[in-house]
Amino acid sequence: MELRYTGVSLGYQGKKALIDVEIRLKAGQRLALVGPNGAGKSTLIKSMLGQSEILGGTAIIPPRDVIGYVPQSGDLDPDFPVSVQQVVMMGRYRSLGWWRPVRKADRQAVAEALDQVGLTDKARNRFGTLSGGQRQRVLLARAIVAQPQLLLLDEPFNGVDAVSQDAIVTVLRDLSAAGTALVLSTHDLAVARDLADLICLLNGRQFAVGTPGETLTASSLRPVYAHRALDLADGRLVLVDP
Amino acid sequence: MIEPFSVPFMGRALAEIALLAVICGPVSVFVFVRRLSFVSDALTHTVFPGVVIGFAAAGVEGVFAGALVAGVVTAVVLTLLTRGARLTDDAATAVLLTAMFSIGVVLVSRRSSYTSDLTSFLFGRLLTVTSRQLAETAVLAVVILVALAVSHRALLFRAFDPEGAAAAGFRVGRLDLWLNVLLALVVVAGVRAVGTILVVALLIVPAAAARMVSDRLAVMAAVGATLVFLSGYCGLLLSWTASLRYEIALTSASAVVLLLVIFYVILMPFRRVAA
Repeated sequence: MELRYTGVSLGYQGKKALIDVEIRLKAGQRLALVGPNGAGKSTLIKSMLGQSEILGGTAIIPPRDVIGYVPQSGDLDPDFPVSVQQVVMMGRYRSLGWWRPVRKADRQAVAEALDQVGLTDKARNRFGTLSGGQRQRVLLARAIVAQPQLLLLDEPFNGVDAVSQDAIVTVLRDLSAAGTALVLSTHDLAVARDLADLICLLNGRQFAVGTPGETLTASSLRPVYAHRALDLADGRLVLVDP
Repeated sequence: MIEPFSVPFMGRALAEIALLAVICGPVSVFVFVRRLSFVSDALTHTVFPGVVIGFAAAGVEGVFAGALVAGVVTAVVLTLLTRGARLTDDAATAVLLTAMFSIGVVLVSRRSSYTSDLTSFLFGRLLTVTSRQLAETAVLAVVILVALAVSHRALLFRAFDPEGAAAAGFRVGRLDLWLNVLLALVVVAGVRAVGTILVVALLIVPAAAARMVSDRLAVMAAVGATLVFLSGYCGLLLSWTASLRYEIALTSASAVVLLLVIFYVILMPFRRVAA
């Protein structure tokens, strides 16, 4: 598995939303996309799914069938009549195709994925009855049940309680250790520092990419967050409404 | 209770309702979860000019072909319009609905038997269903059920999480077209029996009522189908009894739909208890 962007510009309907993207990710690496709202984090993730346009540069993206995607659970209808088990099974639909019936191996894979995210006891519950954090874990289980080589996560910690955040971080570390490459967008710099090997700072263009130690510094973050960054007298930087 | 259905036209009407029940149960579940009530309403109106043209060209037997062509064409146009960025989904749907329905009214108003024809197109003639019509509905039912069986996973994924489904490699636009065509086929199947106005009830009410008692899709489909059949059975019986015993003219299709809505109202408290 290799993901490589060289001087890539991205956008929609020919209009650029993000430029100068230079990233390289290998199996097992964890990349966090950091930047304010509208910075282009989702655009970059969508480009890997073929849902935003690559308008320039060279992008080497793994085939779609080895990419998993975890959307934000808040975007989904909580009243939808579907069980947790059914949601996770959706991760197997691509391999099941149109005709093949669900088999024991599929059910086993679903059970294992639910166990991995700590929600075995919620399997029969309706998806919408779970907390925001639990729903996010269900969507993570749906993605990992397809055994992706590259996993994309769009703001996986938004509105997530501490217990679920810890559970998600643990699962992501396990997946990474097993060779799955991760790309996640986040506003939470502490999580990014704790979880990622590489940080990509974005705001309309790529400002920096490197290890957390290289990128999560006041001097690197200041231009990315512009007027949202407040310099304190002691040299530290505070981000307002990141 | 069973005797009236030994009369051939009543038996055929009940058989027609049974076929519609089998397809409307599961299809209405997708209408419900995709929130396609307005689209369904639009489809029932947009087949109207097709029904009129078919009738004008070949009488009652031409209605099926006319509705089929109009239904499929409008399903395609509706999908294309709602995918465009220039109009919102509901505006595009409303434009198509009113335009096609107006064309239908213009066409039907040119006929000398205007009032009678309009009534039968809008409210159906459940008691005049012929064996041929029954066979056509049965063929459509098989087509719709097979199509649903092979696509239900993709349709479910798309309904629950369109972004996730697209990321998983499902073509959302094609799935939307597929479901719209299936809805059009259901409308075509039901339009002669219950009319272009009332057929929308068979697409919306079954799953909405079933949702009151279950949050499992398969159960909703089964309960929805059962409710349509019960409404059909009781509605026909009511219509028969009112006409023969009390000499009260009660349109059978209207009675069926009215009973379906009554079932919905009866089940409403169960939803509150569940909540």
